[in-house]
Amino acid sequence: MKTKTAARLLTLGLSLALGTAAAQSPVEVQFWTWYLSPKFDGYIKDTITAFEKANPNITVKWFDKQDTMVQDFISSVNMGSAPDVVNLNIDETSKAAQNSFLKPVDTLTPMSTLKSVYYPQTLANFTIGGKVYGYPWYGSLNEGVLLYNPDLMAKAGVKAPRNMTELLSMVKTIKDKTGAYAWVPALKDPGGASFLGYFFSDGLPIYDASGKAAFNGAAHVALLQKYVDLFKGGYFPEDALRKEAFQLATELYAQNKVAMIVGGPQALNRIKDTNPSLYAKTVVTTAPLGKAQVQTGTSMGLVIPNASKHPAEAAKLAAFFTNNANQIAFAKIVPIVPTTAAAKNDAYFKKVSTDPIAKATSLVGASGQYINPGFKAPGNSDDLYKNFSDNIEAALLGKKTPKAALDDSVTYWNANMKK
Amino acid sequence: MTVSQRPKAPAKAKYSLRDTLMSYAFLAPALILLALFTFYPLAYGSYLGFTEYGGARFGQGLPPKWIGLDNFRTLIADPLFLKSMVNSVKYLIIVPVLQLASLAVAVLVNKNLPGMAFFRAAYYVPVVTSISLAAVMWDWIYNKDGTLNWILTNAHLIAKDSTFGWLNNELTAFWAVMLVTFWRGFGYYMVLYLAGLQGIPEELEEAAVLDGANAWKRFWSITVPLMKPTILLCSLLSTIAALRVLEEVLVLTNGGPLNSTYTALMYVYSKAFQGFNFDYGLASAAGLVVAAVALLLSIINFRVFRDDTGGGK
Repeated sequence: MKTKTAARLLTLGLSLALGTAAAQSPVEVQFWTWYLSPKFDGYIKDTITAFEKANPNITVKWFDKQDTMVQDFISSVNMGSAPDVVNLNIDETSKAAQNSFLKPVDTLTPMSTLKSVYYPQTLANFTIGGKVYGYPWYGSLNEGVLLYNPDLMAKAGVKAPRNMTELLSMVKTIKDKTGAYAWVPALKDPGGASFLGYFFSDGLPIYDASGKAAFNGAAHVALLQKYVDLFKGGYFPEDALRKEAFQLATELYAQNKVAMIVGGPQALNRIKDTNPSLYAKTVVTTAPLGKAQVQTGTSMGLVIPNASKHPAEAAKLAAFFTNNANQIAFAKIVPIVPTTAAAKNDAYFKKVSTDPIAKATSLVGASGQYINPGFKAPGNSDDLYKNFSDNIEAALLGKKTPKAALDDSVTYWNANMKK
Repeated sequence: MTVSQRPKAPAKAKYSLRDTLMSYAFLAPALILLALFTFYPLAYGSYLGFTEYGGARFGQGLPPKWIGLDNFRTLIADPLFLKSMVNSVKYLIIVPVLQLASLAVAVLVNKNLPGMAFFRAAYYVPVVTSISLAAVMWDWIYNKDGTLNWILTNAHLIAKDSTFGWLNNELTAFWAVMLVTFWRGFGYYMVLYLAGLQGIPEELEEAAVLDGANAWKRFWSITVPLMKPTILLCSLLSTIAALRVLEEVLVLTNGGPLNSTYTALMYVYSKAFQGFNFDYGLASAAGLVVAAVALLLSIINFRVFRDDTGGGK
């Protein structure tokens, strides 16, 4: 009997010892970011160091991926060496989740915790089929702020527009009187369907109640017609069909060829680098909004692949990077919009400054609750977005009427949309 | 030298077993690499063309599912694929232009004149220029306010208020992109032709000069026949390159406007590598169609530029 008891005690002791050793055995977590190196190396490395200090059994191996991020992710899953934490945006998260690549993060972090940290809308942005697939990270607003060149505005005799209707009404005046474009709208986006954002901003539906595409109503057609007329009249740059609007707008603004930029404060960073004197006189004010009076925007998230070998540790890292303190620290380096609910009360965003970047940051920094793409990416979105953008392009180039373009796209979407 | 005067082929040499084994041993590493990185991907890619593979199947770790000819039916029914194939075949117009121009310039830079090394190097610079840098430069040229419009308006060839972005216009974008392909490929083929020209024995030229043949006659009777193997190689390479054009299109127009520059390889690329809806099965099927067209055109090239002189045999 004594021998049996001794054996049991020995077994228990060994099990406990092995269990403790297993719990404390070092785990390496692979962390992939997207286009953050080399500019933000310092911030990422410092945050990783702080995380490793707080979690001595976890080491983080960081890689910054750039244009091959998605391909690399897919290949790594196939090769059995998937990363543990991956930085994806809302659209890509949605696509990856629809294709069964991701683990729902609400199985790793309690829903109550997620709800207490992030704004409900920023969490909803990463919710697909009722499950949360990403920890919301830094965001940006599409409307954000309005930046303008006061000299061009004065020459045209106009004041900063208060809404999109006013902005569209001054497009002709500014071009005719100054020779500069008033503004560069997001007409065509290679990876998305940016023009749908204008429908959403004006309170026009993208889908009907049953989830079918419904962006071909009379109001949609009328709005597209306005843009088509202005494009055909030469009031928007031709290149807006070929280049990403933000890139083109910042390029032309720095050359005094565009009077206004509607968007995130990040545009100011580029202007500061390329034309410091124009940066100094740039005026920053609140963005003109559409009839729905809503901001739209997007954010990055940190997702955990199904193929991750260390999901629990990965969840810890993702939660750490996206917590309020670390997002605020990031916002102090670059004008991002934090996605944490506590950010709206942070003193950093209440500072008053005349510097354009500081002013823009304080105007948008605490607006994380408005980060909302406006519509969920449909299943099969790559094909559908291309079809939509092709139809918008056909309307702008006069190959189709706006009504025919929207009708054709809605028909295509409803025939090819996967739930 | 006529065909009847050709020297007889030497009797088949006998090799020792050691020599034979040694030869195969030297060939083996290259063959293994080819098998791993060329033959296997080719065979597996061809197999994937007949399967459903990608999207959710891939995310769930499921293997490819055999679906026969379904991918090819999808391709035939997809207007974008048909348009991309038409564009790719249309892109072949560049092949003869590129070959003639690079051969002509190779003949010119083959002279031993002072400073000729500079010209040889200068024509090769675009080959080693990165595509992103080239894209920025050509964007400046083709822009509405760019160099090309500046030249044309100053030469009074177009009115100032009629300028347009050459890459934004459905009628010009295709040709504008093709010119960039020409610019990038020209130096490469010129160097190949130059190497071919320098391999022609000088005695033949000298004998022809003594016989009183003028430069044009020498070119057609000596240079062109002896250059046939090089012409075949360059023609094949540029035909395949034209069918596979992708980089220029991606960075300059992304296939637009109105898909007028959307090529077959762009279709393959977008189906296989863009977004998470990747469809390796469909992309492989499209790749097979492009490969079949390339094979057909290669056979035509071999027939047209067959080396009748015996030099290549």
